[in-house]
Amino acid sequence: MSAKAEETSQLILQSSDNEDITVDKDVAERSVLIKNMVSDLGEEAMTEPIPIPNVNAAVLKKVIEWCTHHKNDPIPATEDDSDSRKKTTDIEEWDQKFMQVDQEMLFEIILAANYLDIKQLLDVGCKTVANMIKGKSPEEIRKTFNIQNDFTPEEEDQIRRENEWAEDR
Amino acid sequence: MAPAVATTPANRARDDLEQTWAYLQENVDKVMHNLREGMDMKTYMGVYTKVHNFCTSQKPTSTQQAGPIHSASRGAHLLGEEIYTLLGSYLSDHLKEVYNKAESHTDEALLSFYIREWKRYTDAAKYNNHLFKYLNRHWVKREMDEGKKNVYDIYTLHLVKWKDDFFTKVWDRVMAAVLKLVEKQRNGETIDQLQVKAIVDSCVSLGLDENDPTKSTLDVYRRHFEAPFLTATKTYYQQESKLFVAQNSVVEYMKKAEARLEEEKDRVGLFLHPDIMKKLMDVCNEALITDHSLLLRDEFQLLLDNERKEDLTRMYKLLSRIKDGLDPLRNRFEAHVRKAGLASVDKVATSGDNFEPKVYVDALLEVHSKYQQLVTVAFTGESEFVRSLDNACKEFVNRNEVCKSNSSRSPELLAKYTDQLLKKSAKAADEAELEDLLQQIMVVFKYIEDKDVFQKFYSRMLAKRLVNASSISDDAETSMISKLKEACGFEYTNKLQRMFQDVQISKDLNSSYRDWYDKVLQDGGEKRSVDSSYQILGTGFWPLNAPNTPFTPPMEVNKAVESFRRFYDQKHTGRKLTWLWQLCKGEIRANYVKQQKVPYTFQVSTYQMAVLLLFNEQETLDYSEIQEYTSLTDEILEHQVLGILVKARVVTTGSEDAKPAAGTKYTLNPNFKNKKIKVNLNVSVKSEQKTESDETHKTVEEDRKLLLQAVIVRIMKGRKKLRHVQLVEEVINQVKNRFPPKVSDIKKNIDALMEKDYLERLDNDELAYIA
Repeated sequence: MSAKAEETSQLILQSSDNEDITVDKDVAERSVLIKNMVSDLGEEAMTEPIPIPNVNAAVLKKVIEWCTHHKNDPIPATEDDSDSRKKTTDIEEWDQKFMQVDQEMLFEIILAANYLDIKQLLDVGCKTVANMIKGKSPEEIRKTFNIQNDFTPEEEDQIRRENEWAEDR
Repeated sequence: MAPAVATTPANRARDDLEQTWAYLQENVDKVMHNLREGMDMKTYMGVYTKVHNFCTSQKPTSTQQAGPIHSASRGAHLLGEEIYTLLGSYLSDHLKEVYNKAESHTDEALLSFYIREWKRYTDAAKYNNHLFKYLNRHWVKREMDEGKKNVYDIYTLHLVKWKDDFFTKVWDRVMAAVLKLVEKQRNGETIDQLQVKAIVDSCVSLGLDENDPTKSTLDVYRRHFEAPFLTATKTYYQQESKLFVAQNSVVEYMKKAEARLEEEKDRVGLFLHPDIMKKLMDVCNEALITDHSLLLRDEFQLLLDNERKEDLTRMYKLLSRIKDGLDPLRNRFEAHVRKAGLASVDKVATSGDNFEPKVYVDALLEVHSKYQQLVTVAFTGESEFVRSLDNACKEFVNRNEVCKSNSSRSPELLAKYTDQLLKKSAKAADEAELEDLLQQIMVVFKYIEDKDVFQKFYSRMLAKRLVNASSISDDAETSMISKLKEACGFEYTNKLQRMFQDVQISKDLNSSYRDWYDKVLQDGGEKRSVDSSYQILGTGFWPLNAPNTPFTPPMEVNKAVESFRRFYDQKHTGRKLTWLWQLCKGEIRANYVKQQKVPYTFQVSTYQMAVLLLFNEQETLDYSEIQEYTSLTDEILEHQVLGILVKARVVTTGSEDAKPAAGTKYTLNPNFKNKKIKVNLNVSVKSEQKTESDETHKTVEEDRKLLLQAVIVRIMKGRKKLRHVQLVEEVINQVKNRFPPKVSDIKKNIDALMEKDYLERLDNDELAYIA
């Protein structure tokens, strides 16, 4: 390893299934959780693997892949609730490809992003799901996500009537 | 609630909560008490994950069935309230304990305790804020977005609890301890300033904006720290200053107050919040200065009298800090300077009327420069004090003992002094020094009200300097003219400048005349008999009058003059030359004097020359003969010619007390003796100067009348119609930088103009211009 590479310190993350994954500190710190912990406990305390009890190795690697790709992105202001972020469902090309995974994995990534506090990844995940819903009828949506219809016909009728105004006609 | 449905999940939730909180409380307690021992990352991740899992584990259950339709607008139900509430009561309990411990401390020990606890508590708060971050991000955020009051992020929750459960109960005692400490410091003891600083900082941190929890305000700090601090400060200094003034001099008190103010200012930087600065200074100013301002002002006169510059500076600085503090000083200062000026002039006046103009001007300048320096040094050149100085100077320059009988004495004396400076003389100043003196002249000039009188005298004396070629240098003259121009404008110096130009032009004219004359002589085969030079002075610009006596110039002079006239006529046709014989002069050589190898040269006026040249024909002449040949009046002959010649023993009369009248015989004195070879006989007589001065004053009056009329006509020509009062006002405005006009004079001149049909009176008290 070159001298320069040694300077960038690294952290070891331990997945819920006990796999140790070494990762550059600045990549790991895309997670606000990890970033806060490193600053609270001090870098010198990071000798052992950091337990990530809620994320398995497969998902964690996927998340790290995303973080590595985005490690140089500007970190948005904490309270960035601007309309543009909320309204647009545009996803950049790399992220679209990244999210081409099975539904199970997609939801795992979203949960992990929420847990690890990686806002941008969470956004990308949610937008991906939103795009899957967009333009579909309730029946189609149920099919897509394998949801059982637990409404009684009366309930369904009532809801439809109340939400008539929102129908896309 | 709908207890009929799903009791099992509710129970499970309860178990879950109890189990979760037990774990959290244990670790939060560690954070609160044992943070210094550190925390391992397993626990860190454990707590975070526990909170996360609790908030995410329970899916919205059918307990929400009461309103599935309403919940549609609310989105998913978020969990976390229970943990938030439990954490809140944990903090309350903790703070209760802290308070109990605080009870046993007082004064500085209490401060140390408070600071220690605060530090520990806020450190823990920062940790907990991160550990409960998931709660912040979801449940707290949702509650706040929905506008719920009294829900804060975890860190702020800590602060709010501190404020409600500890701060309010213990603060009065803490503040009392702080004030005690500060008083100690004011009394000269050394204290631990960092303690106070820490208290201030903690108090500032508690300022939360109720409307926007992301912002902080200074409200808490202002109410709980600033206000009591200011009150204590005020009381302290009121007492101290009262005592100090009773036992010490005012001068000492000012030093004390100055030091105290400086000290309090430093105090802000050392351990207070900058927000207090203005209020603290206000309080100190009031207690230390405003409350004693009468006393200070009373001392002002004393300090002025004794010229205590340093103390004056101090007093100025102190009183400038309070509102309207300086006005009374300015008034006293103005009166003082006026008095000093008048006294200085009185001293000059006591030595009689024959003082040198320089003495008078120096007396004025001395007072001015002394107090100007005081204004600059002690009063930082503050513009209002400068104005007071100007007012005072204007007053004593124009109205003093010397000017008592004639208000235009000041400009006259100033002009005379200027003349002395600009005239060639043995003790003339060098260039730089002269420029300096001229600057000083301008200082006095600025205050002169009758600027037109100065102008008059100045132009007469300039005329003399130019005609007699007695200026010290062209540069100095130009410099002075440009100064006057700068002060009063082009119009004021127009004539002066033209006079100066005439002299320059005359120089060229003489040299071309000489060339012309040489040629004439050559052509006629003649030789030059008299060396002559001429000055052509434009009638309108020079304050000179034609001679007041008839005169027949001697033949030699006449010939030269005629020759020049021919030359000049060729150059400029239709110009009339009037010879100002009284200003001409020449030199003649006394070849007749015995026992003198090198003949004497007499410098004489033209009139003297005319008489002396008569002796080329006869040794002795009768008075009537002299008068006949020269046509000069008795007065001129007596005072300016024969009187001087007899006194210098150039000519002698039969007896000592012979009157200059027909029958008296005058004989050239062949035994004339003088130490110098060049003898100046062209001297003016004292009485002559006096009449000249009187005459000048007289013409000033005449000129003023003309100026007033000119201004009135100019205004009316522009306005066409104007009320009488307004016209008078306008006139005063336009004229006042020349001289202060009297309203009665303006009225008189308006009447004069009405008589001359320039103006007419309309029915409604208006005047109109008649085109």
